[in-house]
Amino acid sequence: MTERIKGIIQDTRLEFHQKRGQLAYEAENMLPYVGINERSKEYLDKRIICDIFEGHAPYRPRYILPDYLRFMKNGSEYLGIKPPEDLYEAVNALLIIYRYVPSITGYPVYLGQADELLEPYMDTVNGQEAEKLLRLYLTHIDRVMPDAFVHMNIGPRDTKAGRLILKLEAELRKAVPNISMKYSEETPADFARLAVATALEVGKPYFINHSAMLALLGENYGIASCYNSLNIGGGSHTLVRLDLKAAAGLAGGYQAFMDAVLPDAIASLCDIINARARFLVEASGFFQSSFLVREGLIQLSRFTSMAGVFGLYEAVELLSDGLRMGHDRPADDMADAIVRRARELVKGQTGAYCDGTGGKIGFHAQSGIDSDLDVTAGVRIKAGMEPGLFEQIRLQGSLQGYFDTGVSDIYNFDSTAKKNTGGVLKIINGAMKNGILIFALNTADSELVRITGYLVKRSDIRKYENGDPLREGTVKLGADSIKNKSVLERRIWKSDEGCC
Amino acid sequence: MMKAVVNRIIPNTLIDGPGSRMAIFLQGCNMNCLYCHNPETQNQCTGCGYCTGVCPAGALTLSGNKVNYNQEVCCGCDRCIGMCPHSASPKCLELEDEALFETVKANEDFIDGVTLSGGECTLQYRWIQAFFSRVKAQTGLSCFIDTNGYMDEAVIRELCEVTDGFMFDLKALNKEKHVLLTGLDNRLVLENMSYVSEQQRLYEVRTVVVPGFTDSEEEIGNISEYIRTLNAYTCFKLIRFRRQGVRSILSDFEELSKETFEHLYNIAYNILGSRAVNTD
Ligand code: SF4
Ligand code: SF4
Repeated sequence: MTERIKGIIQDTRLEFHQKRGQLAYEAENMLPYVGINERSKEYLDKRIICDIFEGHAPYRPRYILPDYLRFMKNGSEYLGIKPPEDLYEAVNALLIIYRYVPSITGYPVYLGQADELLEPYMDTVNGQEAEKLLRLYLTHIDRVMPDAFVHMNIGPRDTKAGRLILKLEAELRKAVPNISMKYSEETPADFARLAVATALEVGKPYFINHSAMLALLGENYGIASCYNSLNIGGGSHTLVRLDLKAAAGLAGGYQAFMDAVLPDAIASLCDIINARARFLVEASGFFQSSFLVREGLIQLSRFTSMAGVFGLYEAVELLSDGLRMGHDRPADDMADAIVRRARELVKGQTGAYCDGTGGKIGFHAQSGIDSDLDVTAGVRIKAGMEPGLFEQIRLQGSLQGYFDTGVSDIYNFDSTAKKNTGGVLKIINGAMKNGILIFALNTADSELVRITGYLVKRSDIRKYENGDPLREGTVKLGADSIKNKSVLERRIWKSDEGCC
Repeated sequence: MMKAVVNRIIPNTLIDGPGSRMAIFLQGCNMNCLYCHNPETQNQCTGCGYCTGVCPAGALTLSGNKVNYNQEVCCGCDRCIGMCPHSASPKCLELEDEALFETVKANEDFIDGVTLSGGECTLQYRWIQAFFSRVKAQTGLSCFIDTNGYMDEAVIRELCEVTDGFMFDLKALNKEKHVLLTGLDNRLVLENMSYVSEQQRLYEVRTVVVPGFTDSEEEIGNISEYIRTLNAYTCFKLIRFRRQGVRSILSDFEELSKETFEHLYNIAYNILGSRAVNTD
């Protein structure tokens, strides 16, 4: 223990805040793990189930999505902020409250529906001032909250603020904030194309199937961190994930996996999740003391917990003697059956304090972390093994519908796409029609590399590898991820040169 | 039911016409351009069997005077194509319009339309008529043709009935250069282009800027001017010559520098504005 702490203190690649965060994590873990059963402990020890660095004794929810609209309307007594009256005050108010939203990393994972929040104030200043203020707003977020899980939402409606944010993001070319664009028939085509153009430049925003999300979560949902769809004014207590590949390794065959291993593992997954949620709600005092609760910016009843799965590709490969999702029909069918069964099992349990999703734990396709080796994020097809683009979309579209609290897939395009944003939009429309909930896109030559659900700069990865300290903790994650997960190998959709 | 000889299908392309498209490359050509980047699309396979000997994967077998191609085991090394003395490919498939239509239909959600290219696809114009008619009758997809424009007047008229847009590969506007590059005069090409333009179907004119042939300020200026007087809508796409794939004497030519290309593009831009498209 003392060695570990000394190691953190002396690590020259970590800056002060990162060190402090890691030291706090070590301190929390001196307490015993929240009350779970023996079987669950075994799963955690073998890392078949993991809580992704949440710590032994949760004292804040993992994902908090404050109702910023309410904050803008009422101001905050606790923060001493009056309701803003112009764009200066609006930007200032948001930048202040962001610092008071807890999370695992200490940086807010949700920045709100930025365009809707700022639009009412856009006409209080002239065009130049507005642009300058938003540039400062975005720059402040990048420098002060240097964590690529810091996530902003825009859309589906067309707004001046939304357009300005897209324009500035393409210009600033920073990994933070990450951005999701809610997209629906309501979104005008030229606004959507601006978003495509921005995404082809900087890997963000991603496109959220707004009508499908409305059906899942209702009007007040937001996208937080990496691909987590949750209630605004609520969030998720915890995210614990099950490694399907490792679980498949425990089973003698497909039938045993479905009948015995998966039910047992998911029972433990839910046991851990519920124990964590109970500790947080009943023992940590968070919901009793946070000003966010007191001022109505979050409500316990809008929270849930998340059960994540990942490594479906390898699980199928193992259980089918080498068949590949996206290439072999029986593998696709098996993938579907496994996901359906896992969902059924999760939804069969009572979720403690999960009123946000009807008293059941939310089901989530977890998009991976840096230390994952030879295992594919969520329910995606292994990087480099993708079939044709449309086959990939069709298969993913059929799987994504099972997940009510987040799932995603990344599609890489080559640079010819930049000259044909309408064509890319057509593909996105088709993807949504085929069930895709979250569509992330990337270009091969982009300076920003999308890792799982977040972005890092290529140049920062090089710096990290050289041992230079960096502002963003996620760069470390990204650099390790690239080494471990063939992120750069993802198949690029090349529009071939035509014949002469 | 009609069959086309298909060199390859690209299910998704963003550079062969407007929006997201599926491109189908038909085998066979009526020009023999010096800078042809895909010589293996020029001719139909004679069944000589030479290529079967070089295939490392055992994907090619000869039965009588016909090569059989096994797509499942092919590793895509393209050795067969490199050695074919007839500028053909053993990997072509004979596909019925109905079968191809099924592929199109399956991807309908993701594409704005279909583009036929080649080789010179209009050599199989009867098949195109059948195929496009089917696409138009049963989907909302647009039908485009990428052509060198060298065909009888009657053919282009018939194709205009079923085609929404044409991309004309204008090899050169200067007659002598056109003959040098392709072996053919360009009168017919220009006549057809003007007919298609009148029909409001000339989506794009493309020219590969080849050093020594089409890289003069005069030629690029003339083509731009020519397009400007044709109509108010056609785009002019300039493509920088690259050696990759080229087998003729041009394979030893210098590639056109970025700077020269940029300069020539600016000439086109000054005449056509945003209708001039830079592919670099
Ligand atoms: S592809 Fe060429 S080499 Fe092969 S059989 Fe046909 S003509 Fe002969
Ligand atoms: S590309 Fe041609 S030579 Fe190579 S494996 Fe395929 S058929 Fe054989």
